[in-house]
Formats: sequence, C-alpha cells, structure tokens
Amino acid sequence: MNQTDVLAKLQTIFDDIFLEPVTVTPTLSAKEVAEWDSLTHISLLVTVEKTFAVRFRVGEVEQTHNVGEFADLILKRLQER
Amino acid sequence: MHLSELKALLQNGSPEFWDGLAIASCAATDFSELFQLSSLRKKAHARQVPRKGVVHEKVRLALLGGYSLYPLHELVEHLCDVAGFPCELWLGNFDNYISEVMDDDSKLYEFAPQVAVLLPSEHRCRYTGQLTDPRERQQDEASRVVSSLLELAGKIHEKSRAEVIMTNFMLPARHDLGAYRSRTMGSDWTFRKWVNLELGLNAPPYLHICDLEFLAHRQGGVHARDERAWFESKQPCSPALLPGLAHEIVHLLQNLRRAPKKVLALDLDNTLWGGVVADDGIDGIELGDTSPRGEAFKAFQKYIVTLKQRGTLLAVVSKNDHAVAAEVFEKHPEMVLRMDDLVSFKANWEPKSDNLRRMAGELNLGLDSFVFVDDNPAEIEIVRQFAPEVATILLGADPSEYVAQLQDCRLFEPRNITSEDAERTNQYRSDSQRQALLASVTDMDAYLGSLEMEAVISEFTPVDLPRVAQLINKSNQFNLTTRRRSEAELAALLNDPAFTGFSVRLRDRFGDHGLISVVIARKVGSVLQIDTWLMSCRVLKRQVEDEVLNELARLGKARECHRLEGFYLPTSKNSMVCDFYPKMKFALVCKDETSARYELPLDPFRPTATRIKIIRRAHEPN
Repeated sequence: MNQTDVLAKLQTIFDDIFLEPVTVTPTLSAKEVAEWDSLTHISLLVTVEKTFAVRFRVGEVEQTHNVGEFADLILKRLQER
Repeated sequence: MHLSELKALLQNGSPEFWDGLAIASCAATDFSELFQLSSLRKKAHARQVPRKGVVHEKVRLALLGGYSLYPLHELVEHLCDVAGFPCELWLGNFDNYISEVMDDDSKLYEFAPQVAVLLPSEHRCRYTGQLTDPRERQQDEASRVVSSLLELAGKIHEKSRAEVIMTNFMLPARHDLGAYRSRTMGSDWTFRKWVNLELGLNAPPYLHICDLEFLAHRQGGVHARDERAWFESKQPCSPALLPGLAHEIVHLLQNLRRAPKKVLALDLDNTLWGGVVADDGIDGIELGDTSPRGEAFKAFQKYIVTLKQRGTLLAVVSKNDHAVAAEVFEKHPEMVLRMDDLVSFKANWEPKSDNLRRMAGELNLGLDSFVFVDDNPAEIEIVRQFAPEVATILLGADPSEYVAQLQDCRLFEPRNITSEDAERTNQYRSDSQRQALLASVTDMDAYLGSLEMEAVISEFTPVDLPRVAQLINKSNQFNLTTRRRSEAELAALLNDPAFTGFSVRLRDRFGDHGLISVVIARKVGSVLQIDTWLMSCRVLKRQVEDEVLNELARLGKARECHRLEGFYLPTSKNSMVCDFYPKMKFALVCKDETSARYELPLDPFRPTATRIKIIRRAHEPN
C-alpha cells in the first residue's frame, strides 16, 4: 500500500463522515474543512484506526499538519504490523 | 439493513430511510458504525427526507460531568432522534460539573433541563489515604463520596425538578495490587465497589443510576478503558464502550416515559419445549433433565416463571389443537409452567395476530403492552404486520440462548422502588425474623417441617419412562440392587401385571427436586418382592424412604400380600445402604457375600408419620 491507496481509502471515510463533499488531497488540512473540528476529529480517528487496523501512539496524530502527513503516519503504523 | 442500502434510501429521499436508520442504530454496537449512521441522519435532516410517524416534542437534556462529553453527546442525540424522542442538548464544560450544579445562577439552570445526565469524575472517587489505614476511616470516606454525589443529584432536582441520570464508576481492570486489592477498602477496586453499592441502594426515586460498572463488566474491563483516549481527549471510557454507554443513557431516558410491558405471549412448539407435540407426542417432546436440549427448554421455562414472579402476565398463543397443547401443561411431569401460571391460553388455528388482539380485549390491556415470542420467523412477521403495536422477539436457533435473549430484550425491567415495594420490605423483615426463629430450632423434626415438603408418588407412566430409566441407570449409592434396565425393558414391565413400579417427585420451599426415587416390586404369591429401590442422594434424611415404605406397604396390602421382601446386593458403591433394611425394621432371612434377604410382615405394619405432604399416591386419579 502506498500513499495514494491510503488517500483513496480516506476519501471513502470522509464521504461517510462529512455532510458536505470533501476532496481528499495530500495538502488538505482540518482548517480548510468547516465541519472538521476537534470533535469530528475524534470520530474520524476511531474510524481510521478501525478501517486500517492500526493504532496510533498517544499524541502523534496531533503532530501531522495535513492529510498527506497523516497518510504517511498510517503507512508507518501499517508497516509495523 | 446494510449501510449502502440506507444510503440509497437517503439518495432517493424515501421515508423508509427513517425506519431503516432506527433499526440499524438500535443494533449498532460499533462506534464508527453509529457515528456514520449519525452522519446519515444529519444529511437526511439537511435534505428534509420526509418522515412518517409521531415525533415527540424535544426533551431538554443536559449532559455534564468530569469528562469531555463529545462524541458521547453526538451518539445520545442520534439515538434519541431515531427513536422518535429528539432532545435539545445542553453540554457542561469539561470537569466543571460541581460548580455548574452548585451555582444557583449557572447556565445549567438557565437551560432548565427536564433531564440531567451527570458523569461524575472517577478521579474524585478514590481513597486519599493509605491502603493500610483503618477500615472505618476508608469506609467513612467512601460514604462521604456517596453523600456528595447524592447531594449533587438532589440539588439538580430541587432547582430544576429534572430527573437525574448519574453514571457510577468503572472498576480497575489491571492486576495492580494483586490479591491484596480486595483486602483493603483503600484500593480503587474495593472503594469504588462500595461507592457504587451505596449509591445505588440509597438513590432517591428521581435518581436513575446508569450502571457504568455493569456496562464495563459486560464489555470486559480491559476493553472498557483506553488511557490514550483520556490523555488525548478526556473520554469517559474507550471508544468501544461509548456506544453501550449512549444506548444505556437513551434507554433510561425512554424508560422515564414508557411503562414496562405487561404480557409475555409465548409460542409452544420449539419455544417452550423441543419438537412438535402434535407430531412427536407428549412423551416425544424434548423437555427436562434427560437431554441437554430438554434442560435448555426447562431452564427457559424457569426463567419465564421468574418474570411472572416479578409481575409479568404470561399467556400462550400457539397453532395447535387445544386439547393436545393443554395436555402437556396438565400431564407432562417436567413442565415448569402450568395452566394456572397463564392468564390466557389460545391454542387454535387462527392467525396469531388475531389471537393477540382477542387476548388484549379479554384482558382489557393495550396491544402495546404485549411481547410476543416465537421461534418461527413467519409467525413473527404476521404479528409485525397485523398487530404492529406488539413487541416481538424471534428466538434464535439454539434453545440454550433463549434465556439470554429474554434477559437482554429490556422490555420487562422493573422501574424505581414504589411504596408497595417498601411495604414488601417490611413484610420480608418480619418473615426473616420468623426464619431466624426457625433456624434457631435445632431439632430435626422442626427443620423438616419448615421445609414444607410435598411429594407426588406416581405409577410408571409412558411420559415418565425416560427419566425413570435415566435414574435407574445412573444411581449407584442409594440403590439396593443396582439392577439396570433400558427404557424398552421398563415399557415391557408396564404391561406385566406381576410388576408394580412407582416414582417419587419431591419439592420444598426452596424449589423442585424433580424425580428422586424409583421402586419396582414384583408379586410372587402372597409376597411383594422389592426388585429395585433407589433414591437420589440429594434427598437423604428427608423421610422420603419412610414414605416409600408406606407406599410399598399400601400397594402390597392392596394386592393381598402378607409380606414385603427386600434384597441388598452389595456393589463397590452402595455400602451406604448395607444396613438399610434392618433400619427400616425388616428382619434378616439369609445372607451371604453376594446378597442379603430381608422380610417385613405387612399385617402388623402401620404407616410412619412424616413431615412430607403426599399430594398424590400411585394409581390415584390426578
């Protein structure tokens, strides 16, 4: 799996969670999506962890600045398995 | 319904979307799934998908506590909405609940909640001293925690008249402290247990405990917590437990405005017993302790009786000939449910929905107070379509899971304590004083009397044969001759006029012991020989053997015998009864290593008085 694959999967998750359509790109960040507040974020993470069967370490998702970095983190945790 | 089907209904703006959403949401136990369903709901509202059915006025619901209440509030709001009880939410700030409650001018009271859900912080439910402190001191602190929680609930209720739902505390699930955890009140384990107990037992009627301890236990303690979720976003529990917590809060909310169900209407074949009585016959159905399946059905009946004891009315709705179905209730020895347990018995060939309607009319109850239970999906479907007010439970394929299905249906839960309950408590107290008196009486006779034993003695009947055969083939200790016989051999004995056999069932104040003794005797001239005499060791020293001898003598005399003959055939396991006949006043006739023969003249015999009430004797009419 590479970043493109991860982004494609993220797109389906975003489609389920957000009411307004959001196009997933590597540079997309939470600031650009009105519905993506700190609260939706929690639900998003739970869904991502379940979908990819990964578990992030405490605090590390906060360190990613956009969807591309987030996808890389998912890849990193996937490779550990 | 699959998520993709729901999405299609949503795309088409179909009103059926709402029913599908409600069903999927009720069943959802997974956080992501429930969250996605909530997103669909919001989309449907935004697109104004038309909705049938009554939607109640919004309930003003305040959520506050020592945790972040997101995304819990999202799940609560969603479940309320899809159930047709939407709420208007007010959320307290993280860990600000004490001032929100205690401050008369707080935003909480400005909101004027009708219901307040409070999740007190577990970090304040912890003993602050040493593990080795005196227990009284630890206990005092636990009691203070409880009083302060009760005080918070009281304040909310007093200020806003709101009903209060309060979570109690999860227990730790790590090995910390080891076995010592339960030897001190200072451990979180014991301290929180104590607080939870006192909180529940002392809660006033307006306070409804949301039993987080139980929910976490059900989930599995380790999976109920997630430390990362606390460090990152101050969650009350793991994401895995959040849906369960939300479902429970909404369940308690709904219980505030709906009564428990009143009537449990039951199918018969493959519901109360295994098999079809019209095909398999009364002695062919599976019920009772001779097979695992039979045991499962009997256990289901026993659970149903506990529902009756809690006040649920029981009824039967079955597709059967009345006489065939009724015979099982009247004659089958392993039936736990009897005719007088039922308020209505409809066994006929009318549609079950019609029968339920008729029953509701006769009992003067609404159809919405009925729960209908069947193993047949077609019958469930008919009732869903033609009597949709009735709640239905479709039993699964395995009868060992029937009890759990009813236990988890959540339709018969008692509500808060009433004054009648309080009256019952008083009654109980005087009862227990009586019991204490009884317990202090040390003589055996008084003890046996207090057991209120009742026995039914029955000649062998075809229905009983499997159980009689089972006892004959497994009893080792209290068994004078250890003669094994198959069910077929026993059936042959039934037709042999020289033989007479009977079984004894015993019950007492504490329950039913079932079939516990079997005797087979054979008339040879004017002598009645005791071919088989055995008894379950569970009922030793209960005077059952005295009553069996009384019965043997009675039957012997009726058959014009002048003497009983008993045999003891020693085995490696039956030494318990080596002196049994002499103890029963039989005289030894002859004895060698392999057998002993005893006799008892019948003419001078007088029955022994016992504390067992004989309900019926062999060959007597029912």
